[in-house]
Amino acid sequence: MRTVILASLRTHTRRYGAALLAVVIGSAFIVVTAALSSAIRDGLTAGLGEPYDGADAVVDSPSPTETARLLDAAAQSGADAWLIGWTMEQVALDKGADTRTVVDTSTDIGQLPDRPDRRWQELVSGRFPGGPGEAVVDTNAAKVSRIEVGDGLRIGTGGDALDVTVVGLVDSPSTYAYASVYLLWSDLARWQDSLVTMSLAWADPGDTADARTAIREIVPDAEVVAVDAFVQDLQKEVNNGVDLVRIVVLLFGAIALVVAVLVINNTFTILFAQRSRDFALLRCVGATRRQVLRSVRLESFALGILSAGIGVLTGLGAGHGLVALVRAQWPGARLGEAEVAPVWLAGAAAVAIGVTLVAAWLPTRRAVQVSPLAALRPDDSTQARTRTGRIRIALGVVLLAAGVLGLGAAVATANVGALAVGGTAVFLGVLLFGPILVPALIRSTTPLTRRLLGPAGRLAAGNAVRNPRRTAATAASLLVGVTLTTAVLTGMASSRSALTAEMDEQHPIDLAVTAEGPLPADTLDRLAAVDGVVAAVPVPGVLARIGDLTPLPLLPASTDGDAKVLHDALPTPGPRQVLVPWDLIGDGIEVGDVVPVTVGDTTRELRVVGGEGWGEAALVRRTTLEQLAPDAGTQAVWLRAEADADPADLAGSVEAVATPIDASVENGLAKRSYVDLQLDVLTGGVVGLLAIAVLIALVGIGNTLGLSVLERGREHALLRALGLTRRQVRRMLATEAVLLSVVATVLGTALGVTFAWTAIRALVQPAIDGAGLVLPWGQLGLVVAIAALAGLVAAVLPSRRASRIAPAAGLSLD
Amino acid sequence: MTSLTSPQPPAPTVALAASARGLTKTFGRGDTLVHALRGVDLDLPAGRFTAIMGLSGSGKSTLMHCLAGLDQPTDGSVTVAGQALESMDDDTLTRFRRDHVGFVFQAFNLLPMLSAEQNIWLPTELAGQAGRDRDLRRRFDSIVETLGLTARLTHRPAELSGGQQQRVAIARALLSAPAIVFADEPTGNLDSSSSAEVLSLLRQSVRELGQTVVMVTHETEAATYADDVVVLADGRITERRGDAA
Repeated sequence: MRTVILASLRTHTRRYGAALLAVVIGSAFIVVTAALSSAIRDGLTAGLGEPYDGADAVVDSPSPTETARLLDAAAQSGADAWLIGWTMEQVALDKGADTRTVVDTSTDIGQLPDRPDRRWQELVSGRFPGGPGEAVVDTNAAKVSRIEVGDGLRIGTGGDALDVTVVGLVDSPSTYAYASVYLLWSDLARWQDSLVTMSLAWADPGDTADARTAIREIVPDAEVVAVDAFVQDLQKEVNNGVDLVRIVVLLFGAIALVVAVLVINNTFTILFAQRSRDFALLRCVGATRRQVLRSVRLESFALGILSAGIGVLTGLGAGHGLVALVRAQWPGARLGEAEVAPVWLAGAAAVAIGVTLVAAWLPTRRAVQVSPLAALRPDDSTQARTRTGRIRIALGVVLLAAGVLGLGAAVATANVGALAVGGTAVFLGVLLFGPILVPALIRSTTPLTRRLLGPAGRLAAGNAVRNPRRTAATAASLLVGVTLTTAVLTGMASSRSALTAEMDEQHPIDLAVTAEGPLPADTLDRLAAVDGVVAAVPVPGVLARIGDLTPLPLLPASTDGDAKVLHDALPTPGPRQVLVPWDLIGDGIEVGDVVPVTVGDTTRELRVVGGEGWGEAALVRRTTLEQLAPDAGTQAVWLRAEADADPADLAGSVEAVATPIDASVENGLAKRSYVDLQLDVLTGGVVGLLAIAVLIALVGIGNTLGLSVLERGREHALLRALGLTRRQVRRMLATEAVLLSVVATVLGTALGVTFAWTAIRALVQPAIDGAGLVLPWGQLGLVVAIAALAGLVAAVLPSRRASRIAPAAGLSLD
Repeated sequence: MTSLTSPQPPAPTVALAASARGLTKTFGRGDTLVHALRGVDLDLPAGRFTAIMGLSGSGKSTLMHCLAGLDQPTDGSVTVAGQALESMDDDTLTRFRRDHVGFVFQAFNLLPMLSAEQNIWLPTELAGQAGRDRDLRRRFDSIVETLGLTARLTHRPAELSGGQQQRVAIARALLSAPAIVFADEPTGNLDSSSSAEVLSLLRQSVRELGQTVVMVTHETEAATYADDVVVLADGRITERRGDAA
């Protein structure tokens, strides 16, 4: 049998091309994931301990107040402490002239330890700050934002804004402790309330025990850890994080491999059907069924080994190449060295071989079950109503019913498990119905394709449905990716609209410019004229003394025309209430306190309520304000930005107006667009990972078509003899591929939207009130258009081959 | 059997449906060079039933393929319905075949996914004659009735016997009233009674419709139905019988 196996491998290798490609893509994906995650891990864990060099103890995530107390106490007691953490502030770049551009509305600002020997940052150029008003910037961040030594930066907005000069560029040995800008504590302290401290390093004149005692004296319940133990924990945490990400990414790899199984399964089914005469002939000349089975199994095993080898090598090349590219082009991504452990290579290879064997198992059995005599007769007819067909339909009905019940239960009980099980059951049910459903859908398009493309279109529709099971299997592979993609797109669009509603409530104003005193008369016009501003509303107000707070602008919760700028109504204070920004509460006044609110000689006793979203000001009822200050001037201007305005650009232009008059700017737009960006990144990432599965499915469509073309050689010759031109042959095959991919995509989109709808009903609605299904028509349309285009591309090679066939070829009996 | 009604008077017998001059066809090169045709001169008069005979490998199928515009000759010229084929590009040739030539093959005559009726209409449809005019419809009915296919029109090829499939193929070839119908071993796959039936139908189409039919066969029995017989051996015409000049 060995001669037979070798000969058939030689003869049929080309036809295995697509199956090979599918497995190669799947297994290469695994290796690339391993390479990338190792590089990320290396980057994240490198230099993890360096920021703690010289420390005796580490305080794990102290609160902002604890951080400030510890740092102040250390300075007084002769110990030394520095924090690893950051505050997020707006950074504007000042290149000397009057132009100030906002670099980023939210940049991480970290601490540079005061004592030079504690500075873990590595100086790249310039020098370290000698005192307040000077800063160092991370060298990669500086490259991206074009910041140079000598430039001025304005950090923060409003009263807390700080002007510093960049005196040096630094690099961080540790990704974990990295910040874009580093300030000395004397400068950073002004934002101590909004500080996120990951850890605080403490170097004591004594030893670790002394350090612990000293810290406990200041913050009794502080979590004090020895440096080594802390770094080890950190390492473990990073490892777990990377592992989790890797598992999630590999999940997508698994989806891609499932699709690969469908593609290979289809390839084997078609190839074995074409070769059934060969098998029968082997049986006739004396091969036992076992021998034929063994030879075919060995053939698929050989294919598995070949594709595993190519896949692993491709993955290694692509993984290392990708890491090298990212390191060279985007040093800010801070990737480390890629190193793929042998166990991953072995795993990827084993998966590739396993997938091939599993996919070949059933077709192989079916192929050798053909009796020697039956296989020698040409068999073109395919009947859907075979015995297995009926079992298949019954099973499909059961699965569909169970799945719908499961989804219903998921909606009723908000149970994730029921959702997953129900969704899977419905999907499998649809797959089982595929041989009936997909051809029926394709047939329903016949009048259209015939009108558009004439006889070639009609023939294409006929070709696409002539082998229902093959058509369904091909469609199924695309269905997997498309269903998941459209479900994600729809789910994201719906969540986005629900989140937008929530963001409207939290940040009702795009930009609020609030001054300490009455605004100059031309401010409103100048702000309204800023590019990207669509509406500007003047808000009356007055500087008021609220309890022990520093005087704060007092604004009315409703103003004439504020509907033009507000995304959602501001919270309404009661007649005897004052709304104070959250970040001012806790320093002298608490929620629920009744405090005197004084303007000039008038005082009202008002109850404090917390809130935010309107900038650095307190809100009262309009009537309360009128009582306190009957002739209040314009204190603030609220702006509405264009829907697609760039928050950083807009902030820059508005700051240019606001800064000279000492007004603060609250940028709600930046916060909204940050949330938008997160959703975009998430959607993009998930869709990008699903694209692998879709790519494999498209290889499958090209493959099915290519193998069918080989099979239909005589038919195409006949059509050519009867008067079909070359172009019509090409058009016929392209139409067949497009029909197949579009029908699979439309079916997948319907399924995906249904799943998204159920998931929203079951999971999102209980959490966010009024969250409904939002269909991203543009994106869904794009998915269908891409599928149609990809179908065309998949048909290029098969249709070229088919149109080259000579009309005289294959017409005589072979 | 009812007689076929012709939409046009039979063509004068002196006219030529097709002719070949110095037709040469070689395959391969060097050691594997095969001369399928070595300078064949042939005139096929219109309205006649001509049989091209020869043993396997005599070049008779190649001759037919070249005459029908299915294959390009290496040298020499072919004229069908007054038009020279060698000057045509692939698309023109395809359209020419569609409009002027009909085919009946030994096997695999029909497209498996189309019904008998759809198969018969296929060339007309490919030619873009979407609105099937009433004359053509009448011709279709009459041909289908003559060939005894009325009850079989909705069947797929797999549901038809070999003889029935071949009759569907003949109906398809006759429908557009082509200048010439080529039949390549039309009885090769049939039993003797089906063979006789198919051959009679071909002869009937010549007698009653004035159709020109050229049949390639290696069966002497089949050749007796023809008006003229041309015998081919080793790529050359070795014998002409009947009225063929």
